[in-house]
Amino acid sequence: MGCRRKLKENYRMKKDTVIIIMIVVLSAFMYALTLRGAVGTPSAMEIKQHLSTQTQAFEASPERGRYVHVVSLAENGTYALENNWASVAFPDVGVSPKGEYFGFFAPGVAYMSVPFYLIGKYYGVGQVGSFSIESIFSIIALVFIFLIARNIFLLPQWAAIFSVLVYGFASTSWSYAVTLYQNAFTACFIVTAYYAVWKYSNDKGKYSFLYAAYVWLAYALAITVDYPNGLLFLPVLFYLAYVTFEAKKLADGYAISIRWASFLTAIVFVLITGLQLWHNNHYYGGWTKLAGTLQNYTHATTSPALTDSNHSFSTSTKAASSSVIVSIEPEKTVTGFFSEKHFANGFYVLLFSDERGLFYFTPIFLLAIFGIRYKLLNASKNEQVLTIIPLVFISMNVLLYSSWGDPEGGWAYGPRYLIPSMPWLALFVGIALHRWGKGIARKIFAYLLFLYSLATALLGVITTNSVPTKSEGLLLPAKKFNFLYNLDFLQSGKSGSFVYKTFLDGHISLITFFFLIYCFIAVLGLWVLHYSLKNAHE
Amino acid sequence: MSSNFTFKISSFEKMGQILDSVKTERGVLSISLIMALVSTYYSFSHNYITSYGDAESHLNIAKRVVDSITPGFAQLGGIWLPLPHIFLIPFVKFDFLWHTGLAGSIVSGTAFVIASIFIYKLASLLTHNKDASFFAALVFILNPNILYLQSTPMTELTLIVFFVLSSYYFIRFLIEKGDISMLMLAAFFGLCASLSRYDGWALVMMEAGVICLYYFPFTFKRKQQMIAPSDNAQPVNESFRARWSLLEGRFILFATLAFFGIFLWLLWSFLILGDPLYFTHSEFSANSQQKGWNAKGQLPAFHHPLMSFLYYLVTVESISGILPTIIAIIGMILFLANRKSRNQVYILLIMLVPFIFNVLTLYMGQSIIFIPSLTPSTFEWTLFNVRYGVMMLPAIALFSGYLFYRTKTFGKLLISGLLILQCLLFFIGYSQVLALTDGVSGLSSATAKSPDAQHWLENNYDYGQVLMDDYKRTLSVIRTPIHMRDIIYIGNKPYWEESLAAPEKYARWIIIQRNDELWDRIYQDPVLNGRLYKYFSKVYTSDEILIFERNDLPA
Repeated sequence: MGCRRKLKENYRMKKDTVIIIMIVVLSAFMYALTLRGAVGTPSAMEIKQHLSTQTQAFEASPERGRYVHVVSLAENGTYALENNWASVAFPDVGVSPKGEYFGFFAPGVAYMSVPFYLIGKYYGVGQVGSFSIESIFSIIALVFIFLIARNIFLLPQWAAIFSVLVYGFASTSWSYAVTLYQNAFTACFIVTAYYAVWKYSNDKGKYSFLYAAYVWLAYALAITVDYPNGLLFLPVLFYLAYVTFEAKKLADGYAISIRWASFLTAIVFVLITGLQLWHNNHYYGGWTKLAGTLQNYTHATTSPALTDSNHSFSTSTKAASSSVIVSIEPEKTVTGFFSEKHFANGFYVLLFSDERGLFYFTPIFLLAIFGIRYKLLNASKNEQVLTIIPLVFISMNVLLYSSWGDPEGGWAYGPRYLIPSMPWLALFVGIALHRWGKGIARKIFAYLLFLYSLATALLGVITTNSVPTKSEGLLLPAKKFNFLYNLDFLQSGKSGSFVYKTFLDGHISLITFFFLIYCFIAVLGLWVLHYSLKNAHE
Repeated sequence: MSSNFTFKISSFEKMGQILDSVKTERGVLSISLIMALVSTYYSFSHNYITSYGDAESHLNIAKRVVDSITPGFAQLGGIWLPLPHIFLIPFVKFDFLWHTGLAGSIVSGTAFVIASIFIYKLASLLTHNKDASFFAALVFILNPNILYLQSTPMTELTLIVFFVLSSYYFIRFLIEKGDISMLMLAAFFGLCASLSRYDGWALVMMEAGVICLYYFPFTFKRKQQMIAPSDNAQPVNESFRARWSLLEGRFILFATLAFFGIFLWLLWSFLILGDPLYFTHSEFSANSQQKGWNAKGQLPAFHHPLMSFLYYLVTVESISGILPTIIAIIGMILFLANRKSRNQVYILLIMLVPFIFNVLTLYMGQSIIFIPSLTPSTFEWTLFNVRYGVMMLPAIALFSGYLFYRTKTFGKLLISGLLILQCLLFFIGYSQVLALTDGVSGLSSATAKSPDAQHWLENNYDYGQVLMDDYKRTLSVIRTPIHMRDIIYIGNKPYWEESLAAPEKYARWIIIQRNDELWDRIYQDPVLNGRLYKYFSKVYTSDEILIFERNDLPA
């Protein structure tokens, strides 16, 4: 019997491994097809003149603000920006007390992108190379969504695959898996850390400390890519604390077991965070000074320094020698970015609005409510913790970014600040579908929601992420501020895809390109759901 | 890399005993008293006690009853309900307590402590659980908005304590199935609430409505079947009549006492001001003020049910804190869904009275709230009257306690952690203490609009009577050396009327603000203007305020 069970387990694992390989191949293919960019390693002037318009690689300031640092690090060996590169990142640029320019974004993404930029540059696609790191992290997240679905939530393979499809391709996370933002990194660090804690709780072996070390590593790196991750990660750390202390009730008291590895491995966090503090001190002028708290600058458009494309990297970066004007403004604080007074509006914008609302862009996530309800009502004590941790994470994510003064995320596509919650919502969608078993009507309903969500996700990813906020959109001639805005780009054949622009433009229309990808994933989703009708529990 | 530690239960026993002694009514009394004293000291040391314009007005109304050129109870006026001012009277007699506003702190602070204890008792009534009751009391006590308001002469705490007391005894009446003494106590405290703020009127009306629902013979048919075998003489009518007469008896018993306050107020308005509904439509009423906002297109909730609901919901959320609000909403849903418990709909209706009342008054244009998260930034002001949200704090506390009661260890830890987190959010400024901010820099603030004329008067006023239109809040009397008995304002008959005809008759000083009563009646009138300059010299001029000093009296 034991031998048969072992064989069965081996077979299951082999099958899962094959599926993981397929997930990697499929998602790499899809992300490659839609990765934003163009051939070459553009100069500051090229970016400003040609590549910062909609559907181009640097259509919004967040990717410019990070990319300029990638270039600066790779080419100049310093994080501080040259004048001409600072003007590329405008308006998200600040000035340090030493007069050096820096983007307002946490530095982690830029540092991690440098090797990919160099590899890409070697092949003549430096920009595409640096952007590809985002896709790699997204693929890792997809793999771990599958692993969590299979090993933690014990979902059948079809439900786990469906969760992967929802997060990867039927949500607006796709739009941010092919550019240079922080959101996909955060999602990846969160799901991998959560899985690592779970492994750590189940593995008491000699090398189990590596899992705890990874949690600390992910935490430290997550802070380097986006400062609010310091808060967002708390549920995972709480989970780590939960598995670190194990209490047993005895006749005359309690026995508490402590796994010291959880504390000792925090050295990884200390080291990485130490490096970040050094970075802050060295560049921003203080250990606790963060990029976002630097003084704004306003650049003078007539400045020769900012318009000279031949401006050399060796030129002094001191503000004194440029025409960049530091604006006088009240001192910015870390806590000042978030305020409860924004909550009511932010909550509406992020979840329900027609400009960025999660359920408006990706209604498949409505099914997550059923999955959450089922898990809360039916989970065992151990499973309850595994469910509550993601729920607390989602709540914190919504709470935090609803309190952000700009919940729309500037000119963006969908609720980009909620991308770190999307893996969990996708998992709860999988749980809901699994719970529904072979009910065909519900599966059809789910499939219709999937088709809608896939359409909106794909529309954004192959056209532009630079969609105005409602207040701005209503002032534009088109008066559009959501995916309808992207529809105009689709119809006029304007795409942000590197592959389409480089190899397919002129051979097939953008609409055909859209439908080829759409049909492929739609058929895949249909196959998965059809399979579930026959094999609801495996 | 793991170690085991063993703790004996006896190690925890002492700690448990200490904690148990805190989680009692006495513990709640001690904590609320300490918090009240600390926050009052904070407000006092930062000059926040009389930040609100209304805070000084409440002090002045009470002060005029005992220390005015025409003292007496008629000074209580006909707009604000009298009970909070009556409570202030013994304290404002002392000039120090009047000037500093501490008279109000004593009244509101006492109300706060009693309300905290009765929130504990109310939660205990519903849960029979010490921990949950203590948690409910903590949600109330630790809220910085309520802590600020309990240090001021504002009337919210007076209402809250009577609201909680009346609700407590009324719910006891429901739970203990018709104990008349409880009903009478509920009616008495309902009467007090109805003489504190108009919200109290809604409370007694709702309680009366609940009595009707509670005793209404909805189920007489079922009773008929049960009673019929043993009672041959018209069982249906007997049962129905018995229930109906019980309803009548209880309703009349309750309403006679509970509505007596409303009756008294209408009678007072009729006798003193000649109009029983003076408070609803006089030029000083809230309704008249709201018309001004409406004319400017800045009354967003007026005749807009969704906006009225949203405005008050967001106000409650901002005042209570986002986390306690979420906890309370979940607790409320669980409370309503609990089929084992009876009367939950009635209890919910009572606790939601402030919500229903405020949404209705916003909808009808009788009330106005500006809150930064909803009010367009194009409005003249974006912060006003947010303190109305504190009325729901007892309900938030109660249902938070209920959720605490319904959860197990992990949930209790989580909820406690969220309460601590909320305190931190208030501390770091993520959640603003809006009741204080409104007092310091919102439209409700007196200090934010403190005119230069006031500072001039602080240094130059020597003696003599001062003629001013106090309703327009030209300047803050408590911040000047002027005695209340030296003020001539609209409520001082016949001094006011005579001064409007002959300004020099009583006053040594005249303070005129642009567009106030004195501006219109004296300064703009050519004859009186000439008379003004004949007897007075203009000693202070600003864009808004003019101060005149009598010429012919020796300094």
